[in-house]
Amino acid sequence: MMRVLTFALAMAFVLAGASLDTSAQSDAPTIKIGYAISRTGPFAPGAQATQEPSYILWAEQVNAAGGINVKGQKRKVELISYDDRSEVETIVRTFEKLMVTDKVDLILPPWGSTANFAVAPLADKHGYPVLAPTALSMKLVDMKLPYFFSMLPQPYVLMAAAADMLAANGVKTVAVIYMDDVFGLENIAAFEPAVKAKGIEIVDKKSYPLGIKDLSPVLRAIKDKNPDAFVGLTYPPDTILASKQSKEIGFNPKVFFTAVGTAFPLYKQVMGPDSDGVSGIGSWSVKTSPAAKAFFDAHVKRFQKEPDRWASAHGWAGLQILQAAIEKVGMDRKAIREYIASGEHATIIGPVRFKGSEIQFPGTVSQWVGGDFEVVWPANRATAKLSIPKPAWK
Amino acid sequence: MRLWVELIVSGFITGGIYALVAMGLNLQYGLMRILNVSHGEFLMLGAYLVYWAHLVTHLSPFVFLPPLLVGLFVIGLVIHRLCFRRLAETTPEVEAFEARSLLVGFGLMFVVQNVALLVWGADLRGYQYLSRTVSVAGVGFTANRLVAFAGAIGLGLGLILVLRATLLGRAVRAMMQSPTGALLVGIDVRRLHPAVFGVGLALAGAAGALLSMVFEISPSMGEPYTVTALIVIALGGFGSVTGSLLGGLLLGVVEAIGMHLTSPSLKMVLSYGVFMLVLITRPNGLFVR
Repeated sequence: MMRVLTFALAMAFVLAGASLDTSAQSDAPTIKIGYAISRTGPFAPGAQATQEPSYILWAEQVNAAGGINVKGQKRKVELISYDDRSEVETIVRTFEKLMVTDKVDLILPPWGSTANFAVAPLADKHGYPVLAPTALSMKLVDMKLPYFFSMLPQPYVLMAAAADMLAANGVKTVAVIYMDDVFGLENIAAFEPAVKAKGIEIVDKKSYPLGIKDLSPVLRAIKDKNPDAFVGLTYPPDTILASKQSKEIGFNPKVFFTAVGTAFPLYKQVMGPDSDGVSGIGSWSVKTSPAAKAFFDAHVKRFQKEPDRWASAHGWAGLQILQAAIEKVGMDRKAIREYIASGEHATIIGPVRFKGSEIQFPGTVSQWVGGDFEVVWPANRATAKLSIPKPAWK
Repeated sequence: MRLWVELIVSGFITGGIYALVAMGLNLQYGLMRILNVSHGEFLMLGAYLVYWAHLVTHLSPFVFLPPLLVGLFVIGLVIHRLCFRRLAETTPEVEAFEARSLLVGFGLMFVVQNVALLVWGADLRGYQYLSRTVSVAGVGFTANRLVAFAGAIGLGLGLILVLRATLLGRAVRAMMQSPTGALLVGIDVRRLHPAVFGVGLALAGAAGALLSMVFEISPSMGEPYTVTALIVIALGGFGSVTGSLLGGLLLGVVEAIGMHLTSPSLKMVLSYGVFMLVLITRPNGLFVR
């Protein structure tokens, strides 16, 4: 009896599989795009807030429109994705498998500076172009990998913009905390000369590790030094921790600036009215362009959550460039690379071009104003007026 | 002076949670030799359940603490029945049992974490609760941290009271001191073991619920607490619940003051420094006579 049942099940399986195959064959071959991204582990909150939703949304939109036009033939996109568990070895192994064994047509980048640092040389070796929306590392840019393109302006651009903003608003002293990993170290290295060039004194400078649960010992010491501005080169959980604990100890400098995560919708959700006047790294809002608004609305509709106001749009812009490249030059990866490297590309964050690996895009500062995270610096990018001094915590 | 008061109180607040997590784990280890490395995952589960209940009902998260304790207690009974009872029956040697329970713990860790990922996703989540600042003599703390501390200490002292004053507690302590002796005087191991395992999970869940009032939560939030709990247990002594309470508070204060004097980047060095110092000088724990 069991044998019969097993046989029947197996037959049903085979038949179902066969019928699936024929339906797939009736279309043009799909464009296989592989990636590994963090769905578990410490990188997962960032990856799921800023990056993977855009990949899924993009593939769905492309396929709903019938696919990408490759030399007159409409080809749909097939995403082949893996969880990289936030482990560098897994990231490297998975991308190696995708490029060497699976031979996917294209790849999409993983999340974060560390992961991209590991994948970029590998992708370059195999000749896969990468448009990375979450890689902040001068070291990576300095490798001058022809196939690597960073969608974010690098630390020295971002930190110069922050220093400009501070100096223009009469800030004389600043206290800074930074996370002791690639992100924090590269940004503090860029931040120090930037503020010194503007004659701003750094009165306190402390590093902290990933996963910290109490910053109040450091913040209390900073409060006693009464700096004009506070700058946290922080990651999402610590961005919120530093904000909550500054409120707790009544530390309210003229400028309160935190890095990654300030642009997340979660920030407003957990800080409520206290978010008002907090500034941080951000580069766009729905007011930036109608295309940005359309992306925002589609993201909310599909995932019931807002994209973040920084890297999400840069990631989307990268996908736009990739799609335009395929439509223009077809599936040859070398030709795609040439297309990306030369000329100007129209995207939702505005026209962009590349110089080496670096995107030519100004450093920006955003601020929570009236319930949204608006670009406030520089003036030609601003979607709202900078409000200084920051109002008291509620 | 004010700074030192602030640092010590801040250390106590962090330490209170450490203590609560460590007490639950220590109870499981001290009584049954189950080295449950998935302990932190049940803390995470508690945090998510309260977050979710609060999101749906908008009631104070404290309302959900009693049902959460009961719920995790029941989960504990089920897990003990499914995983550890059979393991105990088939593995009479204590050393082998410890090693195998460790493997089971790792398995549970992956299962629980991935269930949370499937249900809630990997996003960082959080809610606002009592986020106003309470100021006493110029020393300010957010109300939610004070409330979480009170909850942790309340539960910790409650557990110690139960262990000290009730017949059930005495039976548990007897089991810890001498498993064979306890069997001889007629203590029912088959009923006591699952119950104590359940209590351990309930305490982890409660710690998670309290943490969710203060911090943002994610499916990977539990692991660091398991590690800290192991350090606290070594500090306070294996099997000593009171030692865990004091050890947790002590570690919190050492971290707060150490981080202020040196750098937060050295937090792990401080924790492990204390850990090694205790292992070298008082290998049975600071509070074991």
